[in-house]
Amino acid sequence: MSEVIVVTSGKGGVGKTTTTANVGTGLAKLDKKVVLIDTDIGLRNLDVVMGLENRIVYNLVDVIEGNCRIKQALIKDKRYPNLHLLPSAQTRDKTAVTPEQMKKLTDELREEFDYILLDCPAGIEQGFKNAIAGADRALIVTTPEVSAIRDADRIIGLLEANGLKKIELIVNRIRMDMVKRGDMMSIDDVVDILAINLIGAVPDDENIVVATNQGEPLVGSDSMAGQAFMNICRRVIGEEVPLMDLAVSSGFFAKLAGLFKK
Amino acid sequence: MNQPVIIKSNRYGIIVILDRDMPFPELLEKIAEKFRDSAKFFKDAQMAVSFEGRKLSEEEIGQALEAISENSDIKILCVVDTDLQKEQEFKKSLDEKLNEISAHDGQFYKGTLRSGQVLESETSIIILGDVNPGAKVIAKGNIVILGAFKGNAYAGANGNQNAFVAALSMHPMQIRIGDVIARCPDESHKKSDNEPKISYVEDGNIYIEPITKESIGELNL
Repeated sequence: MSEVIVVTSGKGGVGKTTTTANVGTGLAKLDKKVVLIDTDIGLRNLDVVMGLENRIVYNLVDVIEGNCRIKQALIKDKRYPNLHLLPSAQTRDKTAVTPEQMKKLTDELREEFDYILLDCPAGIEQGFKNAIAGADRALIVTTPEVSAIRDADRIIGLLEANGLKKIELIVNRIRMDMVKRGDMMSIDDVVDILAINLIGAVPDDENIVVATNQGEPLVGSDSMAGQAFMNICRRVIGEEVPLMDLAVSSGFFAKLAGLFKK
Repeated sequence: MNQPVIIKSNRYGIIVILDRDMPFPELLEKIAEKFRDSAKFFKDAQMAVSFEGRKLSEEEIGQALEAISENSDIKILCVVDTDLQKEQEFKKSLDEKLNEISAHDGQFYKGTLRSGQVLESETSIIILGDVNPGAKVIAKGNIVILGAFKGNAYAGANGNQNAFVAALSMHPMQIRIGDVIARCPDESHKKSDNEPKISYVEDGNIYIEPITKESIGELNL
């Protein structure tokens, strides 16, 4: 049974693309056949985060317009043979694709893949409508900031209005030290406001920046964020994984920082 | 005045404009004359009629109608009363009745209202869920929120200042009751402040108070 999952947030810059790259790679690590689709036409960057930019020949709009077959446009990942990327076009804009065409495309991909992950653009306009058209599950990425949460709330409302029922929350960039000081909303606060199921929390981690710049998703690595993303992948496929104690990390980092200060 | 009786037409029928000063029996003759003259024009048209220019008693209206039907084939369906004062009285009593209905009748809504969503109700509304920031509830009657209220609410949307807004956790952006608007204070509220509260209008101001026997006792529905 294949599943089409849209990764969305409303607000930009909260980590949709990073989440898509890491969750996709993580699912491939768990031996699932996965395809990532970058639906952000005109502002493509999932391929950069995946480190596959130099392999692009055809893109999403080429497939939709019939300039090539789906197989030709799919880029095989350099690390995992069962992970594929369908990049977005850089020279067109969101109006090049309609929701009906996206739904048809995802339905075709269902036959071949276990998981189809859609990286949604920021905003609630055409690009968003395209991305959610064929989805049967949504991962909402938010950070513990009021603006991101407000947008996430709006997005959840729109998804519900579109009949999408399976909506889960990822709280990204948590800083436990700030939460402890009372300067940042806790995971519980965020879940309380948005009132949907939490599927994972990812701590703010420098390694993410490094990994993103190198085009190497860090899911499954030793870093806190890598572990957090791996846990999310396990929960996506239905495993029961307890929430990681993020507080440990702050202690660990604090100690590390303490060492350097000496 | 050269013409004691003037006939004008409007969308629904005709308006008969009558001379203000002429004694009524004389005027009645003139009406009969006027309609006799124009009987061919109207034939057996069906229309509503209204009288303007002078105040007629019930009896006088009856006589005028008789004069019209005797002298022409017009079928008068109804007499439209253009009395402004009477109309306003009608409107007022109608509004009062509607207010009463909207305040005493109610609907349920289950689910969380999220940013950008608007819920409107012709009656009172009870929400089983939260009202998040950016969401809006508009009801002609009262609003009761069995959850956290963090958005906007407009109770008594037809101007009823007796309406109220109640919530299990009251941290609104804005409350409007009737024509009175209140917004939340700029300094952030205390997190612990989570007791059920009710807001209502008194002396042109909106008050928010914990729900107690006293605060509920003071409500007049």
